[in-house]
Amino acid sequence: MTGKEFAPHMPAALDSSSDESLLARYRNGDGASFEVLYARHRQGLYRFLVSLSNKAELAEEIFQDTWLSLIRSATQPQGRASFRTWLFQIARNRLIDHWRRHGVHTPLHDSYDEQLHVQPDDTSSPEQQLSLSRDQARLDAALQALPEDQREVFLLRLHGDLELPQIAALTGAPLETVKSRLRYAQQKLHRLLAEEVPA
Amino acid sequence: MIDSKHTPDPNDEVLIEHFRQHASGEPPASLDAFILATARREAPTPTPSLWKRWLQACQRPRWQMAFATVAGVALMIGLVLRSPVPHEELASPASMEFSADRQEPAVAAAPPPAMPAPAPITRMAPQGELARAPASPVQALADKPMAKMSKPAAVAPPSLEQGLQEILRLRQAGESKAADEKLLALHKRFPKEDLPARLEALQKR
Repeated sequence: MTGKEFAPHMPAALDSSSDESLLARYRNGDGASFEVLYARHRQGLYRFLVSLSNKAELAEEIFQDTWLSLIRSATQPQGRASFRTWLFQIARNRLIDHWRRHGVHTPLHDSYDEQLHVQPDDTSSPEQQLSLSRDQARLDAALQALPEDQREVFLLRLHGDLELPQIAALTGAPLETVKSRLRYAQQKLHRLLAEEVPA
Repeated sequence: MIDSKHTPDPNDEVLIEHFRQHASGEPPASLDAFILATARREAPTPTPSLWKRWLQACQRPRWQMAFATVAGVALMIGLVLRSPVPHEELASPASMEFSADRQEPAVAAAPPPAMPAPAPITRMAPQGELARAPASPVQALADKPMAKMSKPAAVAPPSLEQGLQEILRLRQAGESKAADEKLLALHKRFPKEDLPARLEALQKR
């Protein structure tokens, strides 16, 4: 089943509603609103969790746990937080809780010296950027090669489609730190995925 | 929270888009089905409107009993506290005349019927006049039974003392036969009384 194939029976009015209004309608007993909400975010959240945990089984467990807690909770996104930020924050917190319960070192909370991981970026020209590898295994390997906190910021941008200030609020890191993490992550990915282009 | 000054680098967006195009991985269909079924099953029950909640409350037996009790008590209090209408007002000729006066213009305004029948004229007669004096034989006949009914209630039977005095008066007038009949009637009414002794005592007084 692909993202496009997953299309629950949804009225057109629901399809154009905001995430927050859909959640509010579900809280008031409208079951169809949840299906629309789930269809919008299931794929991004799942891919984020798989890439961050690097374990499909763990990703499925956290994915299910996240949605069930949303179903059973009566809370809403607080303040100006968007539903998307809220959803990914729940998932991230669940994953960190899981790592803590199982004695796994939590890499996302490490103090991390960005500069130590910076390597010269030789692939900044547009010609080389367009020749990135399309090999799925190589893409995944490049992502896993990133330091954890850089990977998290990149994945939140990639699968959550979150803006940098939203990522900063979600991770509790300063905005400038988030910007630098994303920049370093992208430089490393460029380097890892650059293919030899014949001159 | 949203930094409007932040503008993503186009080159970075190319990399992000490259990853999006080649990203794969979907939650298993069984997981989708489980989460959606749970959401459907545990969806909060819609909160009914105030009017619907009122209707539902009225449909519950205990609330029906409560409402019926309140209504019954209110009815009883209303009946007990209801101020009685004085009989004088109902029977006073003034009120009758008022109603008659009210009816007269209506009778006058009404166009005269082409063939006037006697019955409507009798019906439309002012009630004030009916109350003051019987204007028709029907009313006179209707008044007679009322007089008959009120007569026995007005004349009370004479007491023993009065009856004895009447007997003495008849005897003194020489109507001994009438006096004996009266004494017999008194004896029937008061069989335990010693009427001759009481007559004698009364005569001595």
